Amino acid sequence: METQYRGAVLGGLICQTFFGLVLVAIYRAMYAGKPQPMPLSSITTYVWLQQAFFRMLLSMDTDLLDRIRTGAIAYDLCRPLHLYGYYYSRILAMKMTGSILRALPMLVIAALLPEGWGLALPASVPALLTALAALILGLFCICALENVTMGLTMRTLDPRGVQAMLNLLLMTFSGNILPLTLFPDSWQRVITLLPYAQMLDAPIRLYNGEYALDKVPEVMIIQICWTGLLVTGGCLLWRANQKKMIVQGG
Amino acid sequence: MNTLRLYCRSMAMLMKSQLQYPLSFLMQTLAQLVMEGGELMAVILLIDRFDRVNQWGPGDLYFFFGLMSVSFYLTEIFGRGLTGNFPSMVRNGQLDTLMLRPRGILTQVLCSGADPRRIACIAVGTVSLIMGSRISGITWSPLKALMMAESVFFSFWLILGLFMVEAILTIHSVKSIELANTLTYGGRSACEYPSDIYPRPLRVLFTVIAPFALVMHVPASIILDKPLFGWPVWTGLVTPLAGVVLFGVMYLLFRKAMKYYRSTGN
Repeated sequence: METQYRGAVLGGLICQTFFGLVLVAIYRAMYAGKPQPMPLSSITTYVWLQQAFFRMLLSMDTDLLDRIRTGAIAYDLCRPLHLYGYYYSRILAMKMTGSILRALPMLVIAALLPEGWGLALPASVPALLTALAALILGLFCICALENVTMGLTMRTLDPRGVQAMLNLLLMTFSGNILPLTLFPDSWQRVITLLPYAQMLDAPIRLYNGEYALDKVPEVMIIQICWTGLLVTGGCLLWRANQKKMIVQGG
Repeated sequence: MNTLRLYCRSMAMLMKSQLQYPLSFLMQTLAQLVMEGGELMAVILLIDRFDRVNQWGPGDLYFFFGLMSVSFYLTEIFGRGLTGNFPSMVRNGQLDTLMLRPRGILTQVLCSGADPRRIACIAVGTVSLIMGSRISGITWSPLKALMMAESVFFSFWLILGLFMVEAILTIHSVKSIELANTLTYGGRSACEYPSDIYPRPLRVLFTVIAPFALVMHVPASIILDKPLFGWPVWTGLVTPLAGVVLFGVMYLLFRKAMKYYRSTGN
């Protein structure tokens, strides 16, 4: 699906590179005035990794929303499938293909940028490997979160208001609007525990070496706990929704 | 004048239709408020950590942010037909119907949409402007007020002109809108900050090609008594005209593109 619109992919890539460059330029200017404890290169790396995996955060299953609105979801209910599992794997597949196809070229571009502008090398080889593992766990976590959001939107017929707020929470506390490392230090202890931070922030901090290797078990346990919690919550929510579902339209 | 009346009529009608579902409208406006509030929060958090950028203190940065929010979302309220609806009009062939009517295409496009929900974003922008004005201790004078009004007015045309780039690209290629976003939404994010903090290529881009610097930053910096590039006060009244110049150029290109337009048909 993604490879069919090469022009759109290229346009998106240029667009994201541009946004990334603007963000890096802003942080560079700010750093010039008042350097911070964490090095500038870790901030630029943070920006580029966020840009590269931005597709992972974006909710993409507009198809499901349409089905809820039109009532076509009734057909899914007839299928001999576990509804939650079916949509979970759909979202997982979409996010995975979408973000890999965008991330690879983006990472190449970011790595080619001059020193101090682009992507820095990972802190160490083990850091890179654990970051990759954490990224995969983060992916499971965000899919679970998205299904909870879907479960909530099923209850309201005009989901735009609720969704906009949930999206803002997601974008803010996953570090997309502003790197979480730049939030006030007193907030850090709380926001790094939120599920939003498990998706991209934790893997990026592992890659940067900001989380030392001995923190890996702790990070992964938090990720797994959140995933488990969100999957269970989502399953229950969906089941409750199915019981009192009224299908729209004819 | 006739066109203007038509436009005002359509706007009134569109606003009224939006208000038919008050609860939904309220929810969406609230969502906009939270969203723009989030953007402002990011600026506040950054200032909390870094205090200032170059010669710009916290108040100055809030002022620049507010000016951009107010101008950008004013354009989105009244230019929604162009900023939002146009690409889908081309894609589903709705544009063809407009060609049958005895009015200009652009007039009809502009009359087709309004987005009153953005009023929430303007409110956030206004708060940011007031905060900036207070903290920077601006001493207002009639000249400065005029400069400010002029800047917002011409920013409207500038941003509308940049959205026309998107419209023109849509006519030519139907699906390449993301690229044009670099100028519109990219310009918005970037020029929330004064353009002199950027390295040369970006500064040139935002001064010559998408002249946010001329239309917003020059007058704003003079209002803040910290003239950008050290330019004299009168330049603050002249440079915003770049906004309407850009719009004029884009209008001519738009007419050319309409000659090229082949319906997507169905």
